[in-house]
Amino acid sequence: MTKARHTSTSILRSAISLQLRRVLRVVLLILAYHLSLTTSPAQGFLKWQVDSVPLFRGVAIGFDMAGAAQRLLSDYGQYEVMARVNLHDQYFPTVEVGYGEAQHEDDIITGITYHTKAPYFRIGADVNLLKNKHTGNRVFAGLRYGFTSYKVNISRQPFPDPVWLWDTSFGVKDESCNQHWAEVLFGIEAKVAGPLHLGWSARYRRRIAHNDGITEKTWYVPGYGTQESTRLGYTFNIIIDI
Amino acid sequence: MKCQQPYLRFGKLLGLSFVIYYLLFSVSACSSIDCPVENTVATNYAIMGADGEAATLADTLYIWTRRADGQDTLLNRLTGKDSFSLPISYAHPEDTLIFYITDSYHQETLDTVFLKKEDIPHFESVDCAAHFFHHLTAVRSTHYGIDSITIANSHVNYDQSKTHLNIYFKKRY
Repeated sequence: MTKARHTSTSILRSAISLQLRRVLRVVLLILAYHLSLTTSPAQGFLKWQVDSVPLFRGVAIGFDMAGAAQRLLSDYGQYEVMARVNLHDQYFPTVEVGYGEAQHEDDIITGITYHTKAPYFRIGADVNLLKNKHTGNRVFAGLRYGFTSYKVNISRQPFPDPVWLWDTSFGVKDESCNQHWAEVLFGIEAKVAGPLHLGWSARYRRRIAHNDGITEKTWYVPGYGTQESTRLGYTFNIIIDI
Repeated sequence: MKCQQPYLRFGKLLGLSFVIYYLLFSVSACSSIDCPVENTVATNYAIMGADGEAATLADTLYIWTRRADGQDTLLNRLTGKDSFSLPISYAHPEDTLIFYITDSYHQETLDTVFLKKEDIPHFESVDCAAHFFHHLTAVRSTHYGIDSITIANSHVNYDQSKTHLNIYFKKRY
């Protein structure tokens, strides 16, 4: 009976995940089609645009508003800045550095308290998918590698052992954990005024390797999100060309 | 026909795509609580015959321990079975279990089993109840009715398909 329930929950979750991926694919196709109408048809998506524009087009820095809002509105989130190099408006080697934290106090159901805070980084590159690369706007796809090394504190008020009934303490302190992960992302960015850009990205994250310490699992992983083998993530960036 | 400025068109596209993006992530943000349904942590004992093969318990077995509320029974009147399951304490370094065996001729034996272990706090999520896994490090007993007990699998966790201990009772006539 319990096995059947567990299996049906897994099937339901897989179906929702599949459905979500299908919706995302349709949205991407619509966006790509829309962009193909609004941009010059003279150039290919990934083709190097041969023109007199120099290779090095500057450096930009940005701040992720979505992670900060998430931290302010929930028990976990991250503050993140990024820096990128613009190569011919087509390729954008990028570094993202952030500080993620979670502070979940005395859960109303389980009584568990969870704390972690640690820096993380991601490194990778984006490619501008627009046919005309030099408009200042971009639709991009990219890859990232991310890593964080963090410590968790998990605790609970003493509670009775369900059989022996003696009070039991539960928790770990400063348990060292780490995680490596990869991200595939898709995003869109618009030039708003002067050097100011606004843009968002949707990210599919997949855990590559992880050490969760003695408890075998953790909850929030800085820069990655809550613990699953895959996650969907997002950023909303304010970017300034410098 | 007058065309729109490219920046304006792109701004609209950014806005539209942000709405779609927001809706998508609003849906995905409705995360489920994914605690394991099978979350029993207990020790499984296999009853073995003197020949080392699995055997069925011919006598009647009672198992007691000392609990905080003064009650003591963990297992009552087990007979005709080839295995049984016992709870394991969350955080005692050693569990003490009293095995009382009686047969149809009212012959009785009383043995004490000492199960030494390491207790490992196991965490799933802040939404899931606290549990402990265990690593069995040693087992010993008195030998009135019990011949021996051995550890077959030292890691005690949610996997209840494993046998953790093999118990050999003395042959009775």
